[in-house]
Amino acid sequence: MNRTVYRLARGVRLRRETGGEAMLLVPEGIVALNDTAAAALELADGSRDLAAIVAELAERFEAPQTELAQDVNDLFDSLASSGFVTR
Amino acid sequence: MNAVAGPRSLLCELTYRCNLQCPYCYNPLSLGRPSEELTRDEWLRTIDQALELGVVQIGFSGGEPTLRPKDLVALVARATAGGGYTNLITQGTFLDDALLDDLLEAGLAHVQISIQAPERELAAEIAGTDVHERKLEVLRRVRERDVALTLNCVLHRLNHDTLPEVLAFAEREGIRRLELANVQFYGWAYKNRAALMPTRAQVERGTELVAAARARLGSSMDITYVLPDYFEELPKPCMHGWGQLALTVTPDGRVLPCPAAASITTLSFPNVRDTTLRDAWYTSDAFTRYRGTAWMPEPCRSCDRKEVDWGGCRCQAFLLTGDAAATDPACALSPHHELVTAYRDAVPDTEWAPRRPDPALR
Repeated sequence: MNRTVYRLARGVRLRRETGGEAMLLVPEGIVALNDTAAAALELADGSRDLAAIVAELAERFEAPQTELAQDVNDLFDSLASSGFVTR
Repeated sequence: MNAVAGPRSLLCELTYRCNLQCPYCYNPLSLGRPSEELTRDEWLRTIDQALELGVVQIGFSGGEPTLRPKDLVALVARATAGGGYTNLITQGTFLDDALLDDLLEAGLAHVQISIQAPERELAAEIAGTDVHERKLEVLRRVRERDVALTLNCVLHRLNHDTLPEVLAFAEREGIRRLELANVQFYGWAYKNRAALMPTRAQVERGTELVAAARARLGSSMDITYVLPDYFEELPKPCMHGWGQLALTVTPDGRVLPCPAAASITTLSFPNVRDTTLRDAWYTSDAFTRYRGTAWMPEPCRSCDRKEVDWGGCRCQAFLLTGDAAATDPACALSPHHELVTAYRDAVPDTEWAPRRPDPALR
């Protein structure tokens, strides 16, 4: 269970196109997001830890928690090392 | 039917005016007439058109964009309302509390502030005016607010040896994003090339210092170190290809595929005063001429990197060879590569021309 609470860093914004395509807008850059990543980031508003986000996604996407947990942990690790999410 | 994708980023150069006189500026030598600058309404229309074309990143630079503070706030608000992400690229000297608050309220997401050197005297020598202390205040002000901040320092022979102090300065100031860009030679920087060209020893030491800083600081600071073209064997994928992702609009409304493109005097650029951004992007001669790979000469045409570096920089090809369709001479395979190596190894100048407007055009 990952109890880390992340939220978007300063100046990082989530954007959804009308067609559903999602991206993270960062200083002078764009990070394309898949559905799971976009949904996870939408939930990362500082009120939930990663375990809660995984539980919610598992229900929404009807996917096994263990697989999702790995993906979500990797996503936030990578975004944190780029400075796009903070604890 | 459009196989060509739309642009993703727009750089708005609000004015060529600036209170600093940095000799490494990429702005053109002819800084134009302030009376020819686009009006606020013309800029608003341009931003609306860009958003409609699919642009999501909108930058404001110049010159110094905060010399048009009210217009800047209005444009940031419009870009944000349309879903755009806004970047302010500034030397910062006019960012007082009131302007910062107005910009943040308008939705500004990111500020990039440049310093000329890590200490006051050298900074004043390079900028031609003593504003270093003011910039320290501005950095503090920005840090206190909910906005992303990048610190930028353009490196060249005059300040390269202060790189350890630049890194220490950034660390002391709690900077999360640091951009160390070796000078690129366009506009004023091209004119001052012989004084600004770093030495090979400086460039190599820079690479080592940055590697050590990255290892030490880990993810607490993101450091970009841009090598100078003149010291590389492969050209940069300039703008990720001509007319592929980005467009720039100059203070007088010209639409360019890159901020330095006005230096290519053999091209005539569309102007937002008499065309739409859509037409400029999809059908203008200036944007279609070097898009893709069909225009390429040898050695690019048969090169397996042609869709990696896109032939390098058209502006540099033109400035050095007189032919904008030539392979970028920064590439070791270019028949003109010796133009780069000769300059790189030339005896340096000790004099440079401060960036100043032509008095006849004021």
